[in-house]
Amino acid sequence: MMQIMSTFEHSLKLELAISALELAGIQKQHIFAVPLTNRKVDRKLLDNLHNSDGVTLFSTGAALATAFAVVGASIGFSLKWGPIYWGLITAGSGFLIGFFIDLFINKVIKKRKRLLRGKNPQVILIVECREDQADNVENILWKYLAIGLARVQN
Amino acid sequence: MSVDNFRNISNKYRRYKAHVSVLGTTQLHLRNPYIIAWWSAAFPGFGHLLLSKYLRGYILFIWEVVVNVQADINTAMVHSFEGKFELVKTDLHPRWMLMYIPVFVFGIWDSYRTCVDMNNVYLLAEREDAPFNSYTVGSAEINYLDKRNPIMSVLWSLFMPGLGQLHIHRVLMAFFSLAWGIVFLYQSRLLEAVQFLFFGDLQKSTAVLNPEWLMFMPSVWGFAAYDSYINTVENNKLFEYEQRTFLRKNYQSHSFTIKKGQVIAE
Repeated sequence: MMQIMSTFEHSLKLELAISALELAGIQKQHIFAVPLTNRKVDRKLLDNLHNSDGVTLFSTGAALATAFAVVGASIGFSLKWGPIYWGLITAGSGFLIGFFIDLFINKVIKKRKRLLRGKNPQVILIVECREDQADNVENILWKYLAIGLARVQN
Repeated sequence: MSVDNFRNISNKYRRYKAHVSVLGTTQLHLRNPYIIAWWSAAFPGFGHLLLSKYLRGYILFIWEVVVNVQADINTAMVHSFEGKFELVKTDLHPRWMLMYIPVFVFGIWDSYRTCVDMNNVYLLAEREDAPFNSYTVGSAEINYLDKRNPIMSVLWSLFMPGLGQLHIHRVLMAFFSLAWGIVFLYQSRLLEAVQFLFFGDLQKSTAVLNPEWLMFMPSVWGFAAYDSYINTVENNKLFEYEQRTFLRKNYQSHSFTIKKGQVIAE
């Protein structure tokens, strides 16, 4: 018997991989999945909590874009370029200002670590199989977008 | 009727943090109450809609449109920002205007309060960790948890408010946004103004616009983009949570041992 270790992102592909392995004759108890914690779950409570993580760089931007667009489009009625151009210009600048405020708060004041960009291994999947099944298992794992893979023989 | 993968028959849990139904994926998650209050100030009802409290949100939203249009508040606002204060005094209709204030303030206050409450409820639901429905198939629709790209939600929302919500199957919000988008775009004559801009005729473009209706649009656009973005992110997180739970339950056999050995090189 040998074990094949792999890492995956959370996605429907992972469940497709597992079901394909089971169809290929790997028993359920020979598949071991370890979901990883990519981030601390504890967050500060209530009023000074920061929005559902990953959203913080967007909240102030969206709020300021809307506020600026209302004022910009209004004043635009008496400016040469008119309300549409001024609405768009002020919305864009409001969004950028909000975005940079959030960026500054996160990077400089809080120095919060964000998740790495791109694909992160979120699940470790270990499959135990006979030697003659190994190639097939490996193919299935790659096919359903395993991030990394290793065969371990004892 | 629909077929679900979880039915709450025994009712043995107190709080559930999410529900996937034919009409959409509803979930509790932590929100910043100041951001919720801000959206209620931008447009009464938006704070409640962000909290998935649709009925309260619809009531406040429709109230806002009716009273704002009757009192000419948007027109007065435009003239105020332009500094034409003499016009402002004649714009506003006192018969309607004074009823605007209490409901406007209520929307902000109530959405803030509700948000703080719901954050508490979320924490309790999260700790209780009750199972919830995550898949439904019915005669009219299919809805399930999966991952979507939040950038696409924003892009489609900017093209037309409501499309971002359709992207992530928030049917109630999508229908409401699309329907009111038609009203605001038509009444404000915004699209005619854009056409004049394409022809390079700035004067005509400005002249054709109706400020009373136009000033609803910035809030609607901003809200549609923000709401669809955060809900896409939260739906993705819910998908991951549900999959982790599934893997732990089904693929962590006690008899499984990890063997020592050598990694075979490629």
